[in-house]
Amino acid sequence: MSVISVKNLKKYYQVYQKEPGLTGSIKSLFSRRYQSVRAVDGISFDIEPGELVGFIGPNGAGKTTTLKVLSGLLYPTSGQVQVLGFTPFDRKSQFQKQFSLVMGQKNQLWWDLPALDSFILNREIYEIPPANFDKTLKALVKMLDLKDILKVQVRKLSLGQRMKCELVAALLHSPQVLFLDEPTIGLDVVMQKKIRDFIKNYQQKFNATIILTSHYMGDVRELCDRIIVIDHGKIFFDGKLNTIIKKYATHKQLEIIFANPITKDQIRKLTRAKIKYFDPPRVVLSVKKSLANSLAVKLLKNFAVADLNITEPAIEDIIRQLFGDRELA
Amino acid sequence: MGKYLKIFQTSLINGFVYRLNFIMWRVRHVIQFLAVYFLWLAIYADNNQLFGYSRAAMLTYVIGTSVLRSFVLSSRSQTVGVEIASGDLNNYLVKPVSYLKNWLARDLSDKLLNLLFMTFELTLVILLLRPPLLPPASSPAAAIFIVAVILAMLLYFLFSFLVSSFAFWYPEHNSWPLRFFIFMILEFLAGGLFPLDIFPPVVYNFFRLLPPAFFLFQPMQIYLGRVDLAGAVGLVAANLVWLVLLYRVSRAVWRKGLKIYGAYGR
Repeated sequence: MSVISVKNLKKYYQVYQKEPGLTGSIKSLFSRRYQSVRAVDGISFDIEPGELVGFIGPNGAGKTTTLKVLSGLLYPTSGQVQVLGFTPFDRKSQFQKQFSLVMGQKNQLWWDLPALDSFILNREIYEIPPANFDKTLKALVKMLDLKDILKVQVRKLSLGQRMKCELVAALLHSPQVLFLDEPTIGLDVVMQKKIRDFIKNYQQKFNATIILTSHYMGDVRELCDRIIVIDHGKIFFDGKLNTIIKKYATHKQLEIIFANPITKDQIRKLTRAKIKYFDPPRVVLSVKKSLANSLAVKLLKNFAVADLNITEPAIEDIIRQLFGDRELA
Repeated sequence: MGKYLKIFQTSLINGFVYRLNFIMWRVRHVIQFLAVYFLWLAIYADNNQLFGYSRAAMLTYVIGTSVLRSFVLSSRSQTVGVEIASGDLNNYLVKPVSYLKNWLARDLSDKLLNLLFMTFELTLVILLLRPPLLPPASSPAAAIFIVAVILAMLLYFLFSFLVSSFAFWYPEHNSWPLRFFIFMILEFLAGGLFPLDIFPPVVYNFFRLLPPAFFLFQPMQIYLGRVDLAGAVGLVAANLVWLVLLYRVSRAVWRKGLKIYGAYGR
């Protein structure tokens, strides 16, 4: 049985439109034009226990809205949603004790108190037996290396430290289902990697079901077997990360390290392939899949080549291609 | 129950972080009190009996409402509107915790802090100004007075919570404009500036049964014995009716509000 089941979910918002400037503001005092925004427009998917699924799509695609519906924060306009057999919007405490929502840009920790105070408060709220609490907290603190900062006021922590503490607060009740909305936003690469490793670790250890949205393709590539691509509130693709690469990658990349000096013209004479990167001796060409091998042979015949690699394009490039020029989310 | 006790405790610790804020609030309180106190002292300079109140009764009323204000009108639940507007409400909605009870617990912790300061200030006022304070009219009156004060706290809490729910519909206002407007009138209708029975009977009979009258005015009437015991019990009953009514209304409003709640913020 699937842990999360979504059928034809729709969530429309009413937003009022204000014309820019002061005149627009004055006009809006007397009459407001409302417009319906289709944040989520009929999506369906099922997620099995232990799956780690990545939601990707541009800003405003409907990723966060979907997570908010799954958490019971938003009342769906229509459609059926079941998480762990519950209807999220009913907000039954039996349900709430089994999941957690972490938002990279919102905090649940009490700003003026040490994180430990918030943890203890969560112990009471989730009614975690003290022995379990101590054990889980100890394990989490060790995994995230937090020992020295538990008693420091949250406002004095760095963003990375705070994010780690947010994760701890969200995991103290050992949730089976985890919704992570941009958990690595604003963090440096080292910290991103740490959080990523931690999520992977947690998922394997507890066989947790996790949905993750992220701006960083690194998160998705490293963590998720399955991705759901959302755009304009609709599902664009749902499947294995490899499949999307195979399906949508029309080109391959040839990375060549030349042994002798080379000019762009010399390459252009030989092939119509696009030069993506030119900094001799290293040159990267983008070429149609079917032509990749023959071009490699041609290059080896005509030039002294120190090294040659044929690779799939980066997932970033594929997604960018899918969404055109719009901002990648 | 344990979780709300913990919220109470955590909120109390948190209150100490905002020492300066709290002290300013108390100073404002004392100044407000002194202004009203000396005004009435001046009014009674040449008379011992005015508006049906003796000098001692009026000054007791003024001091009494000032003390009550610390408990009854000291609600932090105005933050509710801000939390709805900013989406911080999300934090509570995903947890097995009642938002209403959470705020009640936090309010009570706030009232405890206020009580501590109030006791100190009151001692100071009594020592320095030596006002003619009247004791409660009788021991039963004192007991009913305490019940009336507790109900008044709950009534004001629900009232304030309801006003905050405005933010579901107008999140860009986070309920402050409405709150400001309402609470200016409220202070007056609660009898915070002068006792309501100074008004002509027609006006008074209307005002005295509105919810605000139960915040300050009615408890003090019970304390001073200006209503008999049967009347006092009747007032408590009326307060209860308002309480049930407001509770029902706020539940219905919240149920509606949560359906259109946008869970703003990322």
